[in-house]
Amino acid sequence: MTQLPKGGGYLLGSTDPKNIFTPEDFNDEHRMIAETLSRFLEERIFPRMEEMDAKQEGLMREFLVEAGELGLLGADIPEEYGGSEIDEIFSTIIAEKLGATGAFAIGHGGHCGIGNLPIVYFGNEDQKSRYLPNIATAEKISAYALTEPGSGSDALSAKTKAVLSPDGKHYILNGDKTFISNAGIADMFIVYAKIDGEKFSAFIVDAHTDGLTTGAEEKKMGLKGSSTRSVFFDNVKVPVENLLYKPGKGHVVAFNILNIGRHKAAANSVGAAKYALDLSATYANERKQFKVPIAQFGMIKEKLAEMATRIYAAESTVYRTGGLLTEMINTLDPSGPDGYKVIAEGIEEYAVECSLEKVFATEMEAFVVDEGVQIHGGYGYIAEYPIERLYRDARIRRIFEGTNEINRIIIPTTLFRRAARGGFPLKDAMKELKVYLNGETVARENPGDVVQAIKDVFLFVMGVSYERYGDEILKQQEILGRLADLAIQAYTTESTWLRTQKTAAANGQNAKLKTNMATAFIYTTVEKTSLAAREIIATLVTGSELVNMQSDLNKLLNYTPIDIISLRQKIAGAISAAGKYVS
Amino acid sequence: MKILVCIKQVPDMESKFKVAAEGTWYDNQDLAWRMNEYDEYAVEQAVRLKEQVGDADLTVLSIGSDKVKETMKKALAMGCDRGAHIADDAAWNKEPFQVAGIIAEYARDKGFDVIFTGMQSQDRGSGQVGVLVAEMLELPSVSTIVDFGYEAGTIIAKRELEGGIKAKVKVQAPAVVTCQLGLNTPRYPTLPNIMKAKKKELLSIPVAELLKVNARMETANMFFPEKKGGGLVLEGEAGELADRLISILKDKTTVLK
Repeated sequence: MTQLPKGGGYLLGSTDPKNIFTPEDFNDEHRMIAETLSRFLEERIFPRMEEMDAKQEGLMREFLVEAGELGLLGADIPEEYGGSEIDEIFSTIIAEKLGATGAFAIGHGGHCGIGNLPIVYFGNEDQKSRYLPNIATAEKISAYALTEPGSGSDALSAKTKAVLSPDGKHYILNGDKTFISNAGIADMFIVYAKIDGEKFSAFIVDAHTDGLTTGAEEKKMGLKGSSTRSVFFDNVKVPVENLLYKPGKGHVVAFNILNIGRHKAAANSVGAAKYALDLSATYANERKQFKVPIAQFGMIKEKLAEMATRIYAAESTVYRTGGLLTEMINTLDPSGPDGYKVIAEGIEEYAVECSLEKVFATEMEAFVVDEGVQIHGGYGYIAEYPIERLYRDARIRRIFEGTNEINRIIIPTTLFRRAARGGFPLKDAMKELKVYLNGETVARENPGDVVQAIKDVFLFVMGVSYERYGDEILKQQEILGRLADLAIQAYTTESTWLRTQKTAAANGQNAKLKTNMATAFIYTTVEKTSLAAREIIATLVTGSELVNMQSDLNKLLNYTPIDIISLRQKIAGAISAAGKYVS
Repeated sequence: MKILVCIKQVPDMESKFKVAAEGTWYDNQDLAWRMNEYDEYAVEQAVRLKEQVGDADLTVLSIGSDKVKETMKKALAMGCDRGAHIADDAAWNKEPFQVAGIIAEYARDKGFDVIFTGMQSQDRGSGQVGVLVAEMLELPSVSTIVDFGYEAGTIIAKRELEGGIKAKVKVQAPAVVTCQLGLNTPRYPTLPNIMKAKKKELLSIPVAELLKVNARMETANMFFPEKKGGGLVLEGEAGELADRLISILKDKTTVLK
């Protein structure tokens, strides 16, 4: 990659396929760790999933220690503190593979993702050397405590309070946290509390400190093997040197870690969905009705094809984003006095992309596991079949790491704010589009053109929304949600198409199948673009203005539909022949 | 102590194989590649021997295009110290005598105490290379071992024979052993070791420098066996099945008239 693209910059102008990261760009080391992970899961984790979901005492810790021995906990930790400090692609591969392991993925992510990254990115030397080596080996298990009974999406309204002790040596914490993953097995917590009830701040808290207690295990819908409890703080003494970053800067820590957390959650979804498709494709090949394997029926083929297609789209999106994060982290120089700020701003750059991929991948997973159960028929409803677990485990991913609603708000809101600050030239883009619409417009003749149509529609509708509402647009959630969907459609279709082009140019593996999946994805997505855009326009304007804008949309979306059904038959053929997801 | 382990990169055996256009080997398009299963046992055993004796230098050798380096890196991540890549884009076309000749030529003056190979490759399956290397180097060889011990210059290996019988064989190093399923469970390369492997020596040597023997055989033709009329599986109720079986026997055979 040559120059670091701006966050959200994909919406303006075009991207050279050479400049995005794709799974075809994995190096030998990436492929090797993927193989190690596959074996670890098949030989160690999957055979004991039932025991884990029955909360067998000590099993999660045992698996985390084993993962530590394989180096799977230290991927984000610098070498000098016992980790491997490798690129974000490694972390993405680890998150993807572990995605299929339900409860273990949560135990792993709570420990060395959100329970670790605040120290990696915002800890000082002393904090890093005291905690990171123990995290890398799972000698100490970590957990992340942000949510409170009264503050979920509205995280900054937290009530947990920290007060400096009279001798100035400790902060005294009081309050409750809820839904804390790993709470029952944690040795340490990253806790957010307001100093003097005002300054939202992050602390590293030893779980074995007097006054810190946990509640009963929550009885959850899924991810049953992961510990989820409330955590109570009753005059818990936290040494002042355990304050992370600066007093009152907890939001910088929390939100930037969430960006990375969202990226990993998206990767988790890709892995879980692939496993669901593998199980479903195998089942459809084996299960016979009317004397034929059900994989040969048109409606089942269509399901398999659409599952594979959406996974391909999410995989393309997640690894493109992983590539952006890697490049960004590589260019940062945190050595100066403002090092932490440099890191925070760096991660913040791709906040939009992290939200986009989180929403898309988790909703893709929901679709895939649901169709997976459907393919399994009645057996899919029986706990003996792993698809039943995947269905339950998937549900939370649309809720945590920022609900998909909150993430949908973040996407257009961030772009509108950047536009207001001059960081996103919405007005110029709008001007260009109007010139285009008033001149000779072109028909969109191939999938790449259709991707451009989706991007144009997004900018057009975003521009019109702003013209109509000004800053008040930020209060129109129904419109913001649809704008988010348009931005997601633009990012995912473009990522999918760029990856496909890059593969074709390199004469890479399964180029034909990839082209089929990308084409199917782009032509089905543009219909959703059309719907969302028309709904926004119809609420913004009326009468002749509506007629005119409708005509503008028609010009932007001037394409001829393709034969999706026969395309899906070809995709399903490839999936059934392999008996699993291939790309 | 100096140890050599020879490995081959082969396609994933679950791949869909097609015969290539020239008709003497499979088409290598769209295949996933991995380390030959038996060679994984060889690498694991070689690494264990190195760990046992402490002061040892372990070389992994593989013949093929640049692509085989990926598999060699796995061996390095498992614990080999250095790699000798014999660069040969036409390795697929070499028959066992040539392959053994290349390895023997490489190993001849290097004083390896133990040479490990897999008992055969999963794609060609000749089972000849290891023992041919031994003959060419005038070394003893023990084939298809399922247990390996080493003490003070003596190798004590177990071989698996027909009918579940095992044989214990003692041989003085230097020697060649070929490894069979059941010998050990190969380790997973850990992330830190994968990263360390990047820094290990991996030298390429042109095959022309080492290929000094001529082929003794050639593959005339590679083909899938002709499909004979496949079996017929009847499903349904027992009574109905019996009726259908009788009618098939009557119509299609002379068993029933």
